[in-house]
Amino acid sequence: MKKALIIFSLLIVTISNAQEKDSTSTYKKRVLETIEVDFLMSYYTQEGKHASVTGGIGDEKLTDLTPTLIIAYPLNSDDILTVDAGISAYSSASSSNLNPFNGDDDDDDDDNIIPPNGVTGSPWVESSGASGGDVWGNVSVNYSHSSDNRNNIWSANVGFATEYDYTSIGFGGGFSKLFNEKNTEVGIKAQVYLDTWSPKYPKEIRAFLDDGENYNSEFFNSVDVLNQAGQIIDKNGTDVWSPFNSTLIKDKGRNSYSVSLSFSQILSKNAQFSVFLDLVQQDGWLSNPMQRVYFGDRDNYYIGNAANIPNYTSPTNIDVFQLADDIERLPDTRFKIPVGARFNYYINEVFVLRTYYRYYFDDWGINSHTASIELPIKFASGKFTFYPTYRYYTQTAADYFAPYEENVSTSIYYTSDYDLSKFNSNQYGVGFKYTDIFAKFKIYKFGLKSVDLKYGYYDRSDGLNSNIFSAGFKFVMD
Amino acid sequence: MLKKIMICLAVLVSFSSCVAVKEYEKININDPDMKLSANSIDRFETNFQVYREGSSGANGGKTGGGCGCN
Repeated sequence: MKKALIIFSLLIVTISNAQEKDSTSTYKKRVLETIEVDFLMSYYTQEGKHASVTGGIGDEKLTDLTPTLIIAYPLNSDDILTVDAGISAYSSASSSNLNPFNGDDDDDDDDNIIPPNGVTGSPWVESSGASGGDVWGNVSVNYSHSSDNRNNIWSANVGFATEYDYTSIGFGGGFSKLFNEKNTEVGIKAQVYLDTWSPKYPKEIRAFLDDGENYNSEFFNSVDVLNQAGQIIDKNGTDVWSPFNSTLIKDKGRNSYSVSLSFSQILSKNAQFSVFLDLVQQDGWLSNPMQRVYFGDRDNYYIGNAANIPNYTSPTNIDVFQLADDIERLPDTRFKIPVGARFNYYINEVFVLRTYYRYYFDDWGINSHTASIELPIKFASGKFTFYPTYRYYTQTAADYFAPYEENVSTSIYYTSDYDLSKFNSNQYGVGFKYTDIFAKFKIYKFGLKSVDLKYGYYDRSDGLNSNIFSAGFKFVMD
Repeated sequence: MLKKIMICLAVLVSFSSCVAVKEYEKININDPDMKLSANSIDRFETNFQVYREGSSGANGGKTGGGCGCN
């Protein structure tokens, strides 16, 4: 990797020396004329039947609302400061089942084990636990500087993100070089994320381990534990449930380091393309401590209605829950290489063709292909644009994935997270854009420059599907 | 693999000198729909794809980090 980076750096230096004379450097235009404000938001809904928090079966219903504000401020003719702040407010049936027993999910001992209706939890029923919803917040600041001839662009960024079980600090920098009369651009970017878990564990595992690895906690004193036959077990006997691995997260850190290389080229008056390569190294606790795993080679134990144990994997089961064998365990390093390319072609004043392809592989065994196409269609002299989109995605499974009850306890690493399974997906979308280059419609001192609305439907071969509505409003200051 | 990619990149750069579209000829290239990056509102789609799929990166979105996703 070091050798590759040296070759790439030498390439940039050689090219920049060879292209010193640039006929476009005589006129210096401001990089950003005025303050620009983007208000973006999306609403996402999802349905599925392979919830990872409940071991690969269960309700995956999720909704997410994400308002975001981006302000680009020109510091002078060469420099831009951009602030990007947003939240993501979500509710998730799967996450709620971190504690499926309808109690709250803070770290005190006041969990309400048996609710008034007697339902004691199921992977198919959303719990009222606090983990069922949260807000992810993010703010990042980016600074960019362009050289007088606009052929060199430096950038640096810093950011912070937080949610109830996770915090992240990110920073990075980049450099882009344009040459060949700005027909060609090469860039290099480096980014670091230093993340920390505030781990939350499945209720039964936490209750068992926190109270000396036995059944003496308030939680287990209040409930009967059933075996596969539906019989109440003797908690002091030998036929008892216990988590397979009593070691939880030791290293709460999770770091990501990436280097991105890019190259773009104008091919003609109507065509251009770009290629991207990312090299990503991750280390730390890369599995999610909320996600349960059930082993096929260990006995099963339940809390709830014994009569529904035979129907456990059916959505008709609303009142029995299987105690986890373990949380998912994944390697503490991961190396990922995605390579992508875009090709855009201006067909005529009405049609533009936008295409994208990516090949990805990593050392967890996932290989994937992504291809997408978008066809903007302009009308009313380009004031309005309608754009249909289509995206196809396919991936192989991670080496450590197996469905519910198909992992075995002799494995070192295991997960039943279907996001790491083998699947393919189709995504269909339509967008509508309004552009007013004169920004005539005003709100206070800001003129509305564009409105972008988009809808997408995502269909995954394992049964998960989702809808996403996105909207963007761009304002420019007078 | 990496060596092959770097060789491809070097070949691409060497081809760059073959074409030089002048600034005044770039009216179509400068069309907003021709930009070589995702649209700004596509960030939300990229975000959920990063969560719901095992791969990420090479699209201007996150390559990992910043969230409990891959």
